[in-house]
Amino acid sequence: MINLRDFSWSVVLLWLMTASIGLVAIYSATLGPVSQFLPEFIQNNFYRQLTWIALSVVILIGVQFINPRTFQGLAYIIYAICLVLAVLTVFIGVEVNGNRNWLSIFGLRLQISEFLKLATILAVATYLTHQRDVSVGNLKTALTTVFMILVPVSIILLQNDAGTALILLTLIPVVLFWSGLPYGISLLIISPAIIGYFTVIGLYFGIAAAIIVALAVLFLQRTKWLNISALVLGLIVIVGTEVGLQHILQPHQRARVEAFVNPSLDPQGAGWNVLQAKTAIGSGGFSGKGFMEGTQTQLRFLPEQWTDFVYCVVGEEFGFMGSALLIILYGLLFLKLLSMAGAHKHPFAQLVIVCVTFIYFAHFVVNIGSATAMLPIMGVPLPFVSYGGSAFLANSIMLAICLNMDLYKRSFSIYR
Amino acid sequence: MANRRKTQNIQLSVKILQGIIVLGAIITLGRIFQLQILDHQEYAPLSRQNSIKMDVVNPARGLIFDRNGKILVDNQPIYSITITPSKFEMENLAALSDILGLEQELVLERITEAQNYSWHQTSRLFTEVPFETFSAVEENLWRLPGIGHQVESKRNYPLDLSASHLLGYLREASPNDYVENEELRLGDKIGKSGIEMVYDEYLRGQKGTSYLRVNAYGQTLGSFDEGNLNVSPQKGSNLVTTIDAELQELGEKLMQGKTGGIVALNPNNGEILSLVSAPNYDLGRLSGRMDSNYWLSVNVDSLKPLYNRAISSRQPPGSTFKPFMGLYGLHTGLITPNMEIRSTGSYIRGRAYRDLADPGMYDLKKALAKSSNYYFFWMMDRIGSNGGLDDWADKIRDFGMGPQNNIDLPFETRGIIPDTEYMNLNFGERNWGIGDLMSLGVGQGMVSVSPLQMAVAVSVIANGGYRVQPHLVREIHQNDNSVSYTNPYKEQIEWLRTDYIDAVKGGMREVVTDGSSRWFTDIKDIPTAGKTGTSQNPHGEDHGWFIAFAPYDDPQIAIAVLTENSGYGSISAAPVASLMIEQYLGGDLKRQYVLDHVLNYEPPSDDEIQDQDQLIEEEIVPVIEEEAIQTEAVETND
Repeated sequence: MINLRDFSWSVVLLWLMTASIGLVAIYSATLGPVSQFLPEFIQNNFYRQLTWIALSVVILIGVQFINPRTFQGLAYIIYAICLVLAVLTVFIGVEVNGNRNWLSIFGLRLQISEFLKLATILAVATYLTHQRDVSVGNLKTALTTVFMILVPVSIILLQNDAGTALILLTLIPVVLFWSGLPYGISLLIISPAIIGYFTVIGLYFGIAAAIIVALAVLFLQRTKWLNISALVLGLIVIVGTEVGLQHILQPHQRARVEAFVNPSLDPQGAGWNVLQAKTAIGSGGFSGKGFMEGTQTQLRFLPEQWTDFVYCVVGEEFGFMGSALLIILYGLLFLKLLSMAGAHKHPFAQLVIVCVTFIYFAHFVVNIGSATAMLPIMGVPLPFVSYGGSAFLANSIMLAICLNMDLYKRSFSIYR
Repeated sequence: MANRRKTQNIQLSVKILQGIIVLGAIITLGRIFQLQILDHQEYAPLSRQNSIKMDVVNPARGLIFDRNGKILVDNQPIYSITITPSKFEMENLAALSDILGLEQELVLERITEAQNYSWHQTSRLFTEVPFETFSAVEENLWRLPGIGHQVESKRNYPLDLSASHLLGYLREASPNDYVENEELRLGDKIGKSGIEMVYDEYLRGQKGTSYLRVNAYGQTLGSFDEGNLNVSPQKGSNLVTTIDAELQELGEKLMQGKTGGIVALNPNNGEILSLVSAPNYDLGRLSGRMDSNYWLSVNVDSLKPLYNRAISSRQPPGSTFKPFMGLYGLHTGLITPNMEIRSTGSYIRGRAYRDLADPGMYDLKKALAKSSNYYFFWMMDRIGSNGGLDDWADKIRDFGMGPQNNIDLPFETRGIIPDTEYMNLNFGERNWGIGDLMSLGVGQGMVSVSPLQMAVAVSVIANGGYRVQPHLVREIHQNDNSVSYTNPYKEQIEWLRTDYIDAVKGGMREVVTDGSSRWFTDIKDIPTAGKTGTSQNPHGEDHGWFIAFAPYDDPQIAIAVLTENSGYGSISAAPVASLMIEQYLGGDLKRQYVLDHVLNYEPPSDDEIQDQDQLIEEEIVPVIEEEAIQTEAVETND
């Protein structure tokens, strides 16, 4: 029996609040004074988003009537269908902004990569749940898991959508960690990303990061081969990053990286977007310039201000109060989801909820990191806030499934 | 491994993951705190600069008036296309060239120039485009980021006179000018000659600024903050000159087809009434977008129209030098007004120095009236032989011959009044003698002056011994209605006594009433005094000179006329000067025959060189008498 008191109303509330902030920002970014500089199809984005949200509410409610076991049962089929569609997209997809990641199905344009995330999560979770031990203690299970993630990542890369590929890639350490990979090794797996990031900012930062990671690994696990490989890996990453920056990257790619590190070097070229985004957020101040009053937004200084740079609109027009509120809402949502996972008995549900949370979190970090110039601009949407039907729908379905698992947690047999 | 899935492990993993989430949230919060609170002061102006474009508003250049309030120079609107190179996209080059109707290479060249000047500042791309082009660009601004338009003004000359050498032309400031004056921007015009150059800082005014709201495409969305921050431009000061437009017009008409210069001034205060250099050029064609073919032709013309002969030429003054010799002779006591010298027709000193005047007894008056060379050779002989050259040069320079007279025009040259040092430099020490000095006495040889210098010098005689500063601008009317006056000097020449001056003036009066130029210079009701001059010129025909002042008793105008390669001064330069005097003092010209003579004047060619008097008697007098009879007949008929 469904007990509505078991339903996680707080998660739904957080979901609706972020979506509302998104609607306000999209309205300002497309129907404010700026609309005079925008083509008509973009001016309609607000109403389309509204429609998608309404549809998502209906679907979210509908999903609650599905038996949670169904997701497990259908996981591989969904995974297979999505992979096939994704491959199709590579060949017959519609190109938008250089990304060939849109597929037209019955006149409806969908971004298959958004749904591929969900499919991958379900498939990986199902696979790991079916293993005798839900762990990556044996190498075969671990490698199969990694392979199941790398396949969609490669297809998305073929679609030229590096941002989404990166997001999906973060599933690897999350899944492995959750499945029992020792902490030290988990840290070792994500250490190249951390050390590489700091090396790009500055060689000395990179060296410092490598030392700290090595010490952390030592603290977590005193295994000689692990500690040595942590040090060696750190060195390799630093040298590799430097060599890559200097010799392997194409000039325009290097320009983008350099623009991220120091946008004022080339304020007219590669650094332009970074600078304008920072300017929008910074000029918002504590309380912002007011709804539809942001000059950066309304005078069209922000690229893609209804999707990838929507956070700048919030930051400029609602200031620190608005942008901090959004971060806190996200934080609460993620924390709530994680404790939901922790409270669940069934490993499939746990894994799905943890993975969904970290997919959101990765979007959150990359999107806001790009907008605030902490990361190079990668062009991923902010969950529930950015304009985009496929993304909103896919993210909502993922949330709906989490809510479904949570709702049925008493009746969801812990036996597989 | 089943024990790994124990609840406490799950809880620890959840805590670790929650820790990562909290860490991520704190980092992002910290970042936006840094951007929005700590660095807000840095980004707020950036966004304002982004959305606000500062436009320079050019001030109207000051007007120039003549002495009677007639406008000599004003402004006319012209349309310009501007560019901000940093915002311009090169892919639009073809479209832009298309709209402008110009070759792509030409447009690219100008864009490159603008880029070299400044990447971010707005520069003029093309000025004085036709209004249709201007409107076409205006309509297409939205697809030409970085391109703008501007209404400006060009100099306009409403009167039917050129005044090219005194007003001067404007040209685009050169790279050097930008360095000297930070206010200048690419495409700004500055005065490059004449009054426009000397008074440029007054005429130019102060640039204003206006703040406009713009979007990322550079489109203008109206004024910012209701224009509260705008600074209106300060119009340039108006100049009231001392020029008499009518007299200037006449001077230019009289010098048409001739080469030479006229300087007419008020001898009492140095106000220049007219300054003509012939040939002149058309300022109107150099205004706004310059007619480059015309500019080229003006530059390569062998007669050098850009050269200001009135203040920059250096020619021997010939016999117009004699009155000043007379004044010096009286000062040194070599002569007295009534002392007579017998001329034998040619002065012998090492060799024979020719004299065109008849032999006989000459006092100062007669020596001037008949332009005796003998008389002044005799004087120069005494001066040179007694080592008086340096004193002579000093005193002659006091008249304004030799040094600069500080007129408010550029490119004024010094003249040459040779002294010992000069002679040593030219011939070598002790390598020169009295033979090289003799011709100085009659204004020939090395002595050389400009019409301006002669006008200043004759003013000294006219005003009773004061050297005045010749000047063109009398009043500067600032934008705030305050008026400042130029403050020209007027210095008494200490050694010059009025009785010397009176003696010389008498002689100059007789030149007009009794001398070779009487046919052209003796004006009824306007007693005039003057002196003709014909200066030998190694490069061709003699130059004609005439200096004069009038009225005799209370001089209001002093004038010097130089007509190059035109033969005797009495028939070439003298009638020009006389007509100018008649116009200025009488208001109109009553002597049609003099005007006709000047307008139709053809210098005698080399093979028909004749004696001056013979020439006048045979060719000019009959014409004049016939005209006089006709005029009389007409008058009787009335």
